[in-house]
Amino acid sequence: MLPLARAKDGFFKRLLLVDLAVGLWVTLKNQFRPHVTHEYPAERPELRPRFRGMPRLRDHPEVDGPLCVACNMCAVACPDFCITVVAETRPGGKGKQPRQFYIDYERCCLCGLCVDPCPTKPITAIYMSHDFELATDDRDQFMTDLPGLYEGQERKVYER
Amino acid sequence: MSETVLQYVVVPAMQIAVVVGVLLGCVAYLVLLERKVIAFMQVRLGPRRVGPHGLLQPIADILKLLLKEDIVPARADRLVFYLAPVILLLPALVAFAVVPFSGTPFRVLGVEVRPWITDINVGLVYLLAISSLGVYGVVMAGWASNSKYPLLGSLRSAAQMVSYEIPLGLSVVSILMLAQTASLVGIVRAQDEAGSWFAFWLPYPQIVGLFLYFVSAIAETNRAPFDLPEAETELVAGFHTEYSGMKFAFFFLAEYANMILVACIVTVLFLGGWLPVTLGIPGLKGPLSNFVPSFGDGGAALTGFLWFGIKVFVVLYVYLWIRATFPRYRYDQLMRLGWKWLIPLGLAHVIGTGIVLLFAF
Amino acid sequence: MLGTDEMEINLGPQHPSTHGVLRVKLRLDGERILDAVPIIGYLHRGCEKLGESRTYPQAIVYTDRMDYVAAVNENVVYVEAVEKLLGLEVPPRARTMRVILSELQRIASHLLWLATHALDLGAMSVFLYCFREREQILDLFEGYCGARLTTNAVRIGGMYGDFPDGWVEEARRFLDILPARLDEYHKLLTKNRIWLERTRDVGVISGDLALDYGMTGPCLRASGVPYDVRKALPYAAYPDFDFDVPVGTRGDTYDRYLVRMEEMRQSRRIILQALERLPDGEIRGKTPRRIRPPKGEVYHVNEGPRGELGVYLISDGSENAYRCRFRSPCFVNLQALPELCRGHLVADVVAIIGTLDIVLGCVDR
Repeated sequence: MLPLARAKDGFFKRLLLVDLAVGLWVTLKNQFRPHVTHEYPAERPELRPRFRGMPRLRDHPEVDGPLCVACNMCAVACPDFCITVVAETRPGGKGKQPRQFYIDYERCCLCGLCVDPCPTKPITAIYMSHDFELATDDRDQFMTDLPGLYEGQERKVYER
Repeated sequence: MSETVLQYVVVPAMQIAVVVGVLLGCVAYLVLLERKVIAFMQVRLGPRRVGPHGLLQPIADILKLLLKEDIVPARADRLVFYLAPVILLLPALVAFAVVPFSGTPFRVLGVEVRPWITDINVGLVYLLAISSLGVYGVVMAGWASNSKYPLLGSLRSAAQMVSYEIPLGLSVVSILMLAQTASLVGIVRAQDEAGSWFAFWLPYPQIVGLFLYFVSAIAETNRAPFDLPEAETELVAGFHTEYSGMKFAFFFLAEYANMILVACIVTVLFLGGWLPVTLGIPGLKGPLSNFVPSFGDGGAALTGFLWFGIKVFVVLYVYLWIRATFPRYRYDQLMRLGWKWLIPLGLAHVIGTGIVLLFAF
Repeated sequence: MLGTDEMEINLGPQHPSTHGVLRVKLRLDGERILDAVPIIGYLHRGCEKLGESRTYPQAIVYTDRMDYVAAVNENVVYVEAVEKLLGLEVPPRARTMRVILSELQRIASHLLWLATHALDLGAMSVFLYCFREREQILDLFEGYCGARLTTNAVRIGGMYGDFPDGWVEEARRFLDILPARLDEYHKLLTKNRIWLERTRDVGVISGDLALDYGMTGPCLRASGVPYDVRKALPYAAYPDFDFDVPVGTRGDTYDRYLVRMEEMRQSRRIILQALERLPDGEIRGKTPRRIRPPKGEVYHVNEGPRGELGVYLISDGSENAYRCRFRSPCFVNLQALPELCRGHLVADVVAIIGTLDIVLGCVDR
């Protein structure tokens, strides 16, 4: 337990307005410190590597096609039920790949729970990209399907 | 006839036009300056998008206010509603008639131009009287809005403004005693003769008077830390709630014009007006009074104006500095401060100055 | 004869200083407040009901968004409640990491409180300075879990992941500059005569009355009751660390301000000790694939920045909780608003709402 002292200045300090002067000095000192404003959108923000932007899919590094094996674990883990996966067999026969993969960005809360259970090794097929400029004019554009989710797609960048 | 017409009608008319024009421009840019200075004190940048470093921001603001919809409340008193901003702004502008911007009259095209619009020998009394008229505008604005909250806000504002007139007047009485004249030009000339500004006048520097005047003026102009009646985070939004568009712009202009007026008066009364900053070093006064000797009197007038401008800028900066730093007083604490602390302090200051004058001279 | 009437006005849901959508109905006699009734529910999103239809790991996302300023503390209390139900053992590294993040979140929350409280009372610059410091903490959170506000940093059985490279050094750098910045806030506010006049003897509540209302957190400690869940019912790795709990004397706004300022220093002390003694090891213990706790109920509490955060879970053996109830400290503290406001002037309501430190997401859930 730490009892607090309710400090008050002495009589002369109060008479000479020392408390006010000290406050004014702090504000003046801060005038000469560099500003902390990031002038967005002229200055792009520096995002950390683990930043959770919109979820996207990765291409398979060796074979043509997505890395995703359509196991549906991400859809099960999602708290907003925004992922829908329809599977098909891979050309070549081994394993599955998604025929359709929808993520509804109206519902996605960018929580990252879909990335945890993804079983592909060594990197996950679904990952949180650094895209955060997601505004559109049309609600229908929020439901993104497989081509829209690829890493190779152009990222939207706001200009002004 | 033409000489008198020229001297008493044409020249003052042009002076008035210049002063009002420059003043309104200054007011607009004071708004920008406030935003920038407070922003820098808060480690951020102010307006930057409109024009380089936001320099066209006031123009954007004025255009916006001009083009806004003019809303008058349903059962408001229309005549009073339209008159109130005018009555608030006019005294602020009219009071500039006696403010001396520089010291030396100069000749332009054979006509003598004095760097003040007029110099009456009761200039100080005129100033106090005119600035008191602003209270009418506030009360009228609150009444005409026909709405609970503006009425309460305006009454509070008016009571605050009237209460702080008294310490304002008291702080000025000692200046009257020192200068022995109520004319503003005479007061600056008295500081010139005394060799130092009244704020640093020995044996009794008028620092207390300066402090008292400045604090009362902050309360008069409804600025922080005395801006409870119009602060956004308080319940009652103040007397200009129902105003929009150009009428609201008038209130804004009036507030900032009052600020500039106060800064000018503080400079003239306490900080030596157009006199240069010599720090008491003898011999510096001559060269510092005229930076452009080739223009003769005109140069002296210009230099005086430059010094005046610098001092006004410093006073305005302190206004903004105080706004950025301090929390605001509650209304009853504000009134208590004015009546119980500042008025006795003003009286004591007047008595102190009187005693010093009696025994030292 | 002129009589005076009581006036009833609304401090409406849309107001710059109610910290969210709070409506307060004030009954005034002139400027004196006779009664102040808070009306809440404008931000109700049904988090408790949603908790019943989501699995335990999915519901962590909702705890982020309830008290969005104390996201990590909410995460931790929920996850620890589930772990209690399951009887899971959390590895020591994960427990210490939870302490570090919780205390950082506490500092961030108190900085936000100070910023908005000072802004409401007119000191604009403190707002910007506190946010400058808070940005650094939010950058730390972004570096760790990818999001600044809705962190979702804790998983059942441990943590989301390990600290990235350089995180510990960055945290230390932040903690190095923090005392100087706290001193700046003290210089601007603590002895400032205007601040003293606005906050002394405003909103006084005695310790007994505060306990009767069920208040917890800094509001209770400022009234003289030394109750802190971190000391009374320790959780995570708190027993390993050495810190003091500041306690006030008078129970007014000024004391609550002093208590929270001192708490920031104590949090810094805890984080420095934790960073020093961060044990090695794994960050997630053995957790079952599907979280299906056995039938039972548990109530687990946590010391959030605003008071005692509680979670009451009833499990019926399935993957979803049968009942998921959150004890919100702001909801309980807000009950005392009429008591605190009575007899004061209208301008004090803003100061009192600020000093209770309510976040409407937490009040309404």
